[in-house]
Amino acid sequence: MRCKKALDQLDDYYHNVAIIMLGEFEYLLITAAAGLGDDAYGAAISEEIKTATGRKCSLGALYTTIDRLETKGLLKTWMGNATAQRGGRAKRMIRVTPKGVLAAKEFYDAVTRVSRGAAWAENQAGGSS
Amino acid sequence: MTTLGWSLVELSARLLERDEREFVLGDLAEDRECVWHGLLEVLGLFFRRQALLWRDVRPWMAGFLLVWPASHLLIHVSISVTSTYERLVYHRIFLENPHTGNEGFLLWVCHILLLVAWSWATGYVVGSISRRTAWASVALGMAACNYTLGTMCVGGIPRLCLFLFVPPALAGMWHGLRQTVRINQTRATVVAISITVLMMFASLSHALWVLNWALIGPAWYLVVIASKPAVRAVALTEGNAG
Repeated sequence: MRCKKALDQLDDYYHNVAIIMLGEFEYLLITAAAGLGDDAYGAAISEEIKTATGRKCSLGALYTTIDRLETKGLLKTWMGNATAQRGGRAKRMIRVTPKGVLAAKEFYDAVTRVSRGAAWAENQAGGSS
Repeated sequence: MTTLGWSLVELSARLLERDEREFVLGDLAEDRECVWHGLLEVLGLFFRRQALLWRDVRPWMAGFLLVWPASHLLIHVSISVTSTYERLVYHRIFLENPHTGNEGFLLWVCHILLLVAWSWATGYVVGSISRRTAWASVALGMAACNYTLGTMCVGGIPRLCLFLFVPPALAGMWHGLRQTVRINQTRATVVAISITVLMMFASLSHALWVLNWALIGPAWYLVVIASKPAVRAVALTEGNAG
């Protein structure tokens, strides 16, 4: 029992570390991947991020972040099928894990909480001046 | 993107691993950007990957705790073996470098065996703990040799003989890089015990430089790794990753 409790505590610790460590680009990536659902892969996520932020992310930043998130257990990736549109090359398909969803939700909640009352935040009490 | 431009991007993508090359080239094909953009994307990813490898402590350990000091020591052993050979066979003694004493043929053979075993074991450990940064370890070894040659007087010894340790070290590194399963425990123990016995023999004959005892480390490190299944598995996984 003590051993199980210790393992649970360890799991909680790593879970918290994962949440604390989630950066804004990691959040953008997870959110874009979750929005794309079964069609989430490198180029599509990059396009989603570009549409949302107006800035294109490099493949280097994208794939090193995907690797990092997969190591943390927030994403799962696998090689998909090749398509003619891509010159017969395969895609690296991406799926957000339940742990990834939780981490993104925690990040979103934290940003929402800290933004409450900020001049740039929409729907704030009292309206904007 | 022209055919020539695309060939250039494909060529640069060879720096990436096979699976990664596949989906990165696919993404670039889908993106339909210019050649320079494709090249920058591929090279950017490659350099990011290389930079990430250096966040780990193992490439630094392999380079500065193993390759750099071992290269200095092994170059001295190579000089010693060559000097002893010149003295025993041609009765030539290079007064400017006292790397040989009164060793006979037996001690000369012992030194040769030690040189090969030390070099192989060091190369093996370097190859197995820093797979993806092995090129940097080789470069550091070459720099260490260059530095040693620039600071010491080698007299009339043929320059090529100073690098006697390089072939067994590279062979060890090759084995370390290619090993999908860690070295067999029995084999590692035999190598380590043989090295220890030979070193004790040389030491008792007053034919072993005290600093050379440091070269026993890689051989016994292999024994420790081979004898711990859990550590072995972790080391193997990390080795593949790093």
